[in-house]
Order: sequence, then C-alpha cells, then structure tokens
Amino acid sequence: MTHRFSPLFAALLLTVVAFTPAPSHAAGDAKGFVKSLADQALSVLADNSLSNGDREKAFRSLFVGHFDVRALSRFALGRYWRRANKNQRSEYQRLFADFIVASYAARLNEYSGETITIKSTRETGRKGEVFVQSMIDRPGGQSIRVDWRVRDKNDKLAIIDVVVEGVSMAITQRDEFSSVIANAGGQVDSLIDRLREKVDASQ
Amino acid sequence: MAAFEEANDPIEPVNRAIFAFNQGVDKAVIKPVAQVYRGILPEAVRDSVRNFMRNLRAPLIFANDLLQGEPDRAMETFGRFAANTLWGLGGLFEIVPDKPHHEEDLGQTLAVWGAGEGPYLVLPIIGPSSVRHTFGRVGDYFMDPINYWANHQGEDWIPITRTVVTGIDSRSRVIETLDEIERTSIDFYAAIRSLYRQQRADLIRNGAPGEDSPLPDISIDFEDDENQEKTSALKEG
Repeated sequence: MTHRFSPLFAALLLTVVAFTPAPSHAAGDAKGFVKSLADQALSVLADNSLSNGDREKAFRSLFVGHFDVRALSRFALGRYWRRANKNQRSEYQRLFADFIVASYAARLNEYSGETITIKSTRETGRKGEVFVQSMIDRPGGQSIRVDWRVRDKNDKLAIIDVVVEGVSMAITQRDEFSSVIANAGGQVDSLIDRLREKVDASQ
Repeated sequence: MAAFEEANDPIEPVNRAIFAFNQGVDKAVIKPVAQVYRGILPEAVRDSVRNFMRNLRAPLIFANDLLQGEPDRAMETFGRFAANTLWGLGGLFEIVPDKPHHEEDLGQTLAVWGAGEGPYLVLPIIGPSSVRHTFGRVGDYFMDPINYWANHQGEDWIPITRTVVTGIDSRSRVIETLDEIERTSIDFYAAIRSLYRQQRADLIRNGAPGEDSPLPDISIDFEDDENQEKTSALKEG
C-alpha cells in the first residue's frame, strides 16, 4: 500500500496481530512479554508466504493468547454486564472476540515496515498492573506512543488495555458499546445484534 | 464497581443530526478535495504546507504556553518560530526537527486553569468539540496576531484561507484512519465522541500519564460477580 498506515490501526494491529504459542516468560517480566508479542507480530506481518487465512488464524491465536479477552469484553459492556443474563453474556463474549478479529483481519496484509521499541515500564497505581511504554516507528512518519497495560495475575501475564497516543482501546469500546445499548433503551440484545451483523458481514 | 462516566452529551439528538450533516459534507466535498490534494501534491510539498500553517500558529501557541505557565515550552515554540521563519523560508521548512512541533490552544489553557469541559458539541463542518473548546476557538481567533492584523488591513480572506487549507491538509492525513474507524465501529458517532475526548485530554496533559484520572478497573474478577449473584439470590430467596 502506498499510503501511510494509520497510527491507530498500526498500533492495534501490532497488538493484535497474532500467532502461535506464546513463549514462556518469567513472571513479572511485562516488558519481555510485550516485546515477544511485538516481535512475533512483526514476523507474521512480514512473512509473505502466509495466506490471508493463515494470517487471520495467527492473529486470532495471538490475540486470545496474550490478551485477557474475558476481562476486556466484560469491561467493554460496562454497567450493562450486570443486566445481561447468562445466555446474553456468553453470546456477547463469543461475538466480542470475533468482532475484534474481524475488525482488523482485513488489514493484515498492509504491513509497511513499522518497528517497535520498548521503552520502560510505569506503575498504573493498581496492584499487579504495569504500563509497558513503547514507540512504534513508521518509515517516513511520526512515531506513535503506545502503552500496554499488562496485568500479572497468578503468575500469568495478560494485556488488558492498549493506549495509543492517550487513547485507550478499552475505554473507546466501552463508550461505543454503552452508547449502542443506551440508544436502544437499555437492551443488551441490541448490542449483540449489531456485533453479530458486523461479524457476519466480514465473513 | 467503578462509577461510569456519563456520556455528557445532553443534546445528543442535535449533535447526531449535525454529525450526519458533516458526514454528508465530508463525503461530497472535503474528503474528495483532500484526496485530490494528496494525489497531486508530493509529500514534501504537503509537509511544507503543514509547516507553513503551523508556523503561522506559533505566536498563538507561544501565548498559550505562557498562559499555561510553561516557559520551557514557550521558549521551544519561540525558538522554532524564529529558526523556521528566518532559515526555513518563512516556515516552509522544519529547521529544528529535534524539537517537534507541539499544539496549544485557548481551550487547553482554560482546562489547565481548571475550567470544566462542558457538554459535548458537534459543530457544523468543524466537527467534535465541547463548550470549553468552542469558547477557546473563539478566543484563539481574536488572540491570533495574524488574524488581528489581517482583519485590520481588510484582508478577511486570510483567516478563512488558513482555516480551509489547514483543514484540507489535516483531513488528507487521516483518510485511511477515519475510514478504518468508520468501518470497524458499530456506532461511529459514539466512537468519534470517545476518541475526541480522550485525544483532547491527552493534549491537555501534554501527553503525560493521566495521574488525576484514576484508571478504569478492567481486571474485575469474575468470582466477585458470581459471589454477588449468590448473595442477591440468597436475599431474594
């Protein structure tokens, strides 16, 4: 692609572009965790021998393997989580992962030489959580500031948010999802329907 | 559970109508013009357009740096303005690339002074804003020495041209980004509202971590949830 990658997309892509088995890492090594994720992501992106389907599969397994998808999906539903019944919750959580993968998979073939530099970590003010700060550099473009919010729970690391130039993926999703539900008179099913439409449309 | 911020969008139906209008204008005029602009001008020329427009804003940014009590950033702005104007052919070229451009405006200054954001507003053509940001825009217009000079000379076209050129250049730089957000969102209006607010907050903090706003509790444990349900079931039973 001749145009520059969009910063937001590039960052989300790097977070989400995925693959195969997560390498083992020492507990608490949040920097190493993000670094290995980024390296794997970049190698999948740059691997021209992969088909679109392979990339999407890799993308999904990377996302599911490195992100706390349950926590993310629950947070994105906001206060409506409590109103949702068991069936709605499980249907919503299934669609949530599909929605993320479907949203970004279409752009997996447009890698244009981005690189990532892991900087330092910063306290989040919450127990067991840190921000891993990084910069994504694009050839000929301005660098993008990306913070990865990593949680260490029972010695297992997982990403629970990605903050691109001060914009949190989790907050954006929650705001958007809440708006859909609020505008449908508080019906969680309205969100589930919209997510299903998006996922179906991408297949 | 954490309290959830309200959307703070009391005139949402009006805002949505203006948003739809803006989308129509964007599709019909602004985006095509931005595409042509990007298509016919080489990147170096477009960068010079942006540099020139930014350089014209430097006095205003300088004033807002000072108003926010940031003398170091003010000096940075002043140094860039002097170098880019004198040696960068009136601002067409970046002379001090190691000190990157930073934005400031009166809306940010008002925020630093403690003014609340006020409800969300969508302005015709201009797009996402807030009450505070809108006040700031009006103030910036009158504070800007170049606009002031132009209006006194009767050269009204200058402020208008600045706005239009800056707008087209900015739009041309986010064509794919906005397409992507629109394509992947399930409520484009709400997505833009959220992105606008977060970006604005980041600008106000000058990119520093948000210390005053507590992080949302993302890692809520499911066990808590199940326990609560059991408790409420017991109570109801």
